[in-house]
Amino acid sequence: MDLFFQQLINGLSLGSLYALIAVGYTVVYGIVQLINFAHGEIFMIGAFGAYATWMVMGQPTDWSAPLSILVLLPVMIIGGIIASVAVALLTERWAYRPLRNAPRLAPLITAIGVSVFLQEFVRLFYGYIPGFPDAKSAIPFPSVPGISGETIQVGGVLIQMTAVFTLAALVVCWVFLWYYVNRTKTGRAMVATSQDPDTARLMGINVDKVIMAAFAVGAALAAIAGVAHGLRYGNIDFKMGFLAGLKAFTAAVLGGIGNINGAVVGGLVLGVAEAMATTFIPGQFGSSAWKDVWAFVLLILVLVFRPQGLLGAKVVDRA
Amino acid sequence: MRVVIPDELKIRFRYPARALGITGGVLMLVSILLPWAYAPEALDDMTFYGAPSPLQLFFAVLPLLLILLLAIPLVGKQRLGKGAKVVAWNTTAKTASIMSLIVVAVAVAAIAIGLGGLVNVDPGGWLALVGGIMAVAATLFLPDSPEPTLYRVKSPKWLQILGIVVLMALLLFGAAYILGFEDADDFLMFAAFVVGMVMVLRQFGVFGWLGIAAAANNRILVLSAFVVAFAFPFTQNGSDANMSVASQVLIFAATALGLNIVVGLVGLLDLGYIAFLGAGAFTAAVLSESAFATIKWSPPFIVTVLIAGTVASLLGLLIGAPTLRVSGDYLAIVTLAFGEIFRITMNNLDGNDGPNLTNGSNGIPGIPDLNLFGFDFGKAHVILGIDIGRFANYYWLMLVVIALIIVVFTNLNHSRIGRGWVAIREDELAAEAMGVNTFALKLLAFAGGAFLAGVAGSVKAHYDVSVTPDQYVFLESAFLLAAVVLGGMGTVMGVLVGATILKLLPEKLRFFSDYRLLLFGLLMVIMMRFRPEGIVPDERRQLEFHDTDEELAEEVEEELTSHHAHLYPEAGGFVL
Repeated sequence: MDLFFQQLINGLSLGSLYALIAVGYTVVYGIVQLINFAHGEIFMIGAFGAYATWMVMGQPTDWSAPLSILVLLPVMIIGGIIASVAVALLTERWAYRPLRNAPRLAPLITAIGVSVFLQEFVRLFYGYIPGFPDAKSAIPFPSVPGISGETIQVGGVLIQMTAVFTLAALVVCWVFLWYYVNRTKTGRAMVATSQDPDTARLMGINVDKVIMAAFAVGAALAAIAGVAHGLRYGNIDFKMGFLAGLKAFTAAVLGGIGNINGAVVGGLVLGVAEAMATTFIPGQFGSSAWKDVWAFVLLILVLVFRPQGLLGAKVVDRA
Repeated sequence: MRVVIPDELKIRFRYPARALGITGGVLMLVSILLPWAYAPEALDDMTFYGAPSPLQLFFAVLPLLLILLLAIPLVGKQRLGKGAKVVAWNTTAKTASIMSLIVVAVAVAAIAIGLGGLVNVDPGGWLALVGGIMAVAATLFLPDSPEPTLYRVKSPKWLQILGIVVLMALLLFGAAYILGFEDADDFLMFAAFVVGMVMVLRQFGVFGWLGIAAAANNRILVLSAFVVAFAFPFTQNGSDANMSVASQVLIFAATALGLNIVVGLVGLLDLGYIAFLGAGAFTAAVLSESAFATIKWSPPFIVTVLIAGTVASLLGLLIGAPTLRVSGDYLAIVTLAFGEIFRITMNNLDGNDGPNLTNGSNGIPGIPDLNLFGFDFGKAHVILGIDIGRFANYYWLMLVVIALIIVVFTNLNHSRIGRGWVAIREDELAAEAMGVNTFALKLLAFAGGAFLAGVAGSVKAHYDVSVTPDQYVFLESAFLLAAVVLGGMGTVMGVLVGATILKLLPEKLRFFSDYRLLLFGLLMVIMMRFRPEGIVPDERRQLEFHDTDEELAEEVEEELTSHHAHLYPEAGGFVL
């Protein structure tokens, strides 16, 4: 039974990571019906932005645990958010906005181009910043005293502090999102736009601003996920957005794309399913080499049996 | 960036401008008699007085055309007669001057970079640069001419056929010549020249005329294109280097043509297409006579091809059946996920994480060359006194495969199925309402495209000698997609052009290889922004992307109806 709870915790923390990224897909899709293929790269840039912030702060490694958690980590996260939001808004402005009325294939292809471009841009030019390491191979992510490497023992289950951090980040972001969407003017404008952009415009909502806000919110959460990813795995690289983005999209579809709560639930379910698959599927196919395959098989199964997703709202095909 | 000169200035300075332009052209012509570079290492040897190098001679064609374009209208409107209206003299002159300047600029930059500094540019180079700038400045003062109507000129059949033959000969000569370049700078300058010539001819209306000629003599065009492509290995004198590139281009193009059915005709974005190619390749490898093949049964290649295609299309059905029912956006991601599943599975079927089928990441090496009806593809043959090596054999095989795909593609395009596909692409809901069985047609396209990829993959396995999972990664799918998008979705010609550009440029610009992907990503974004219909656009598609452009709409409609009535006199009534 301990093994089950251990894998549950592992799965939930992995799932929180997916969920944080998945929100970005779902918010943007809900408003402009665009699969922002480059969102995985926004997540990657968030991690690199946090790393850059740490470098600028003078690579502090010997801060005490409380100081690290209360000052160092928040500053790094804010640095990451600034980087990812800036890049997300730039791509929205220069790549996606001009194509808003184009056939649907066009923005999707643009998104692939943006994704490849951002990956390569980081790979080629990150090392050109004076004093920065070359990004052509993985960069070790700074460890934050009090979180990195620390564990808590609960019964027979060993919980990594990084897992606690990821879960806590998800909970905080979820509460923030709930407040933002239901209680603020921009958030309500977002809901209105996602339901009917034309009417929303007639009601005096600046749709351009709403779309930018959607990109920004998604990017901010992706940056937090980027930091969590760095802490969890101990290194970051320019390719990390590809698979993570793909998984997060799977999570968004799993929960019902366009639905924020769905993205969170989908992420958690996907993470737990992945962790359980590596433990409880017997034989060779249960080895960790197959876990990505099981995640994608789950995606295909969901599309067959419940295309609207777990918390699926109605899927309206807007012609 | 658009320089606008007020009309009254244009009228006032029309003769001085023309004179200045001609002077610029003459200066550029004279400059090739002078050395351009201090040392022979940059470009080809441009250090002699009075003895222009081949590249300089090529370049000279542009200023020569410029002078003619500026001088001929001087005889007056009366004497030009019809010619005054048929040709866009001024606009073409403007294009010619800009393109000359670009070629000179590329050459000067190549000399400066190659020899280390602008001091190495000799007087000839500077003279050409000054002449180019003068010509560009002068042609800015010329009033714009109306669109050329050269294509409306009635021309005898022999002239049309001659035009097609000359075009094909130029293609053959150009392809052989461009592949012959060893140095990237020579290649770049020649490429700039070719682009310049194409732009000038297009502006002149030559392509419009050729389009009509080609439509009227369709069979001759297709036949001569294949004769030229077939003859290409004979221009290589047994050299393998270029044939290797050429056969790679053809394999890539064949796969891209398959993807073109799925993306271009039906509008289904398949991001895991490479997995179908890989499925074909692995099937062929496992069934080959390689010592590492895990299934000890090697049927003749004809059977293998069919099995490979079937395996790929079964996988296509497996993926397509659940996802083609839901919105198209899901398909993109599911196919992407499928591509990953395929790669991971091929990696894992190594006997350790799963049953041994593919030897995991080592793949299956040592696949023997093809042997079709006793013809060994690995052996060199001597035909007409010219060595035809291994790569040329595969080149011809792929040529046959591509010919088959093109025949299938064009016939499908005008059939009931093809029209159903286009209807789905343009508006799925409307198509369904009109009684098109959208699900079945989409599934057919998806499985059919997968079959073609499987066939191409089975040849690729033998061509590459070994098959490993890391040859079939997402980036390759993105490249295939880029070939389709760059060339023009839904057209055969466009995809061939796109595939050639995407395979040839990295081969010739090796010093650039680190920035290849960066530029590739940028290119896709820019294409979608400014020319989403591709280099060789499909007419209907062009309209779809520029639906607010009234002028274009009328133009295309007029052309489509006249073309259509001409090509399909029996068409009429309901087709679906």
